[in-house]
Amino acid sequence: MKLNFLVTTVALLVAFPPPYECRAIESSSNQQATDPDGERQSPPVLARLGEEYFIRLGNRNQNSPRSPADSFPETSQYSKRALQLQLTQRLLEGKVGNIGRLDGNYALRALDSVERERRSEEPPISLDLTFHLLREVLEMARAEQMAQQAHSNRKMMEIFGK
Amino acid sequence: MSGTSRAQLCFLLLSVTALRGHARFLDIQDNDISPEGLLSLLNSELKRELPEEFVYRRALRCLDMVAVEGQFTFTAERPQLNCAVFFIGEPSDIISIEYDSVNIDCRGGDFIKVFDGWVMKGEKFPSTQDHPLPLYERYSDYCETGVTRPIVRSSQNVAMLFFRLHQSGSSFTVTFRKLINPFPCNVVSQTPEGSFTMIIPQQHRNCSFSIIYPVEIQIGELSLGQHNDLRRSILGCAGSGDFVELLGGNGMDTSKMYPMADLCYSFNGPAQMKVGCDNTVVRMVSSGKFVNRVSFQYRLLGHQELQQMKGNSVEDVCLRA
Repeated sequence: MKLNFLVTTVALLVAFPPPYECRAIESSSNQQATDPDGERQSPPVLARLGEEYFIRLGNRNQNSPRSPADSFPETSQYSKRALQLQLTQRLLEGKVGNIGRLDGNYALRALDSVERERRSEEPPISLDLTFHLLREVLEMARAEQMAQQAHSNRKMMEIFGK
Repeated sequence: MSGTSRAQLCFLLLSVTALRGHARFLDIQDNDISPEGLLSLLNSELKRELPEEFVYRRALRCLDMVAVEGQFTFTAERPQLNCAVFFIGEPSDIISIEYDSVNIDCRGGDFIKVFDGWVMKGEKFPSTQDHPLPLYERYSDYCETGVTRPIVRSSQNVAMLFFRLHQSGSSFTVTFRKLINPFPCNVVSQTPEGSFTMIIPQQHRNCSFSIIYPVEIQIGELSLGQHNDLRRSILGCAGSGDFVELLGGNGMDTSKMYPMADLCYSFNGPAQMKVGCDNTVVRMVSSGKFVNRVSFQYRLLGHQELQQMKGNSVEDVCLRA
């Protein structure tokens, strides 16, 4: 009986998917705690596209109302937020970071989580990334390299000093 | 073995390893070279193994760029179907990626593939014209060859890793190392400013130096092995087997970029050019008959310079001046 009910529910969900995937995800994320400054965590739209990097930059929902405390942000925070908003906007427009382009609609694959797709015959030959974002990740990698080099030098000096 | 003979053998091996650059692996304790240390010098696959506390480790992101040697682990907290990691080294490096531990479901559609180069929007660097391997050999699939061939090496200073993990909890760890390349051919610059000398020592190959920024390039010296021929000036570099070309474009594939200038005569003294494209490439074509060399510097173009170039340009292609 319970199994029949479950199967029926799954079949109905597959046959009549929610009109807006974003809304479905938003409803689940609404239950999360809000930020200390009052802004909500944006829905994990970026996570759906598998771009964890952009989540780390910040996941402010550009449509959410800004609190008065944010009316006069610091310059660096403002520029960072502007970049985040630009990235988010371009991401939603599909112009940037659409690395799932060759795989078609991501949402349908999420619904097919029970079925396992066969390993694709074609290799994933491409990544849709703009040069601007490529430079961003490159500069982050360089900063990491310099920090690690400084750390290694410090360790060496500690060893030589003993 | 007498003490004198042993000392002589040690000195001989020491000289050989010093010439090969492997002397740093000698382990001398109590002023005595151990037999194990001697035998290890004969091993041509010496690795730069660091003590555990010096190995850099961090988690990989679904979209990531790695420029520092170390061990990198990706753990899927949810299905990750389209992930890519860029690897980059210094111009004189090639990249080695070793699979340390892999926990994926190949039959379930998971994969990890290493690509020899970078590929973006379908465009590959190096292009198929400039890479020694055919395209299908530039992809290395863990599910097919990862167990028998756990170390994959690139042909230049860049490589990529593509992966897809369906199950939450799937993971893999790779070790990224940089190896010395004495004659770098295809290079992606890590920085928007710098200098480089490209040498092709009598090899029939094409080499590209790619700068993914709009830059001003200043060529300080160009040495092509052919004699100067005034009759060629009418035809330009067409038909010349050895020449250098400046390319500009908005993609990674050098075969699809616009030629900004070509040089087929040796000269000394700076010749500079501004290229206002997303990607600027210095490409050398070599017939293999001569030793060809080009030295150049490059610096990032400022926003105002780009605006000025845009105002002066009537062409629809990348800006040049």
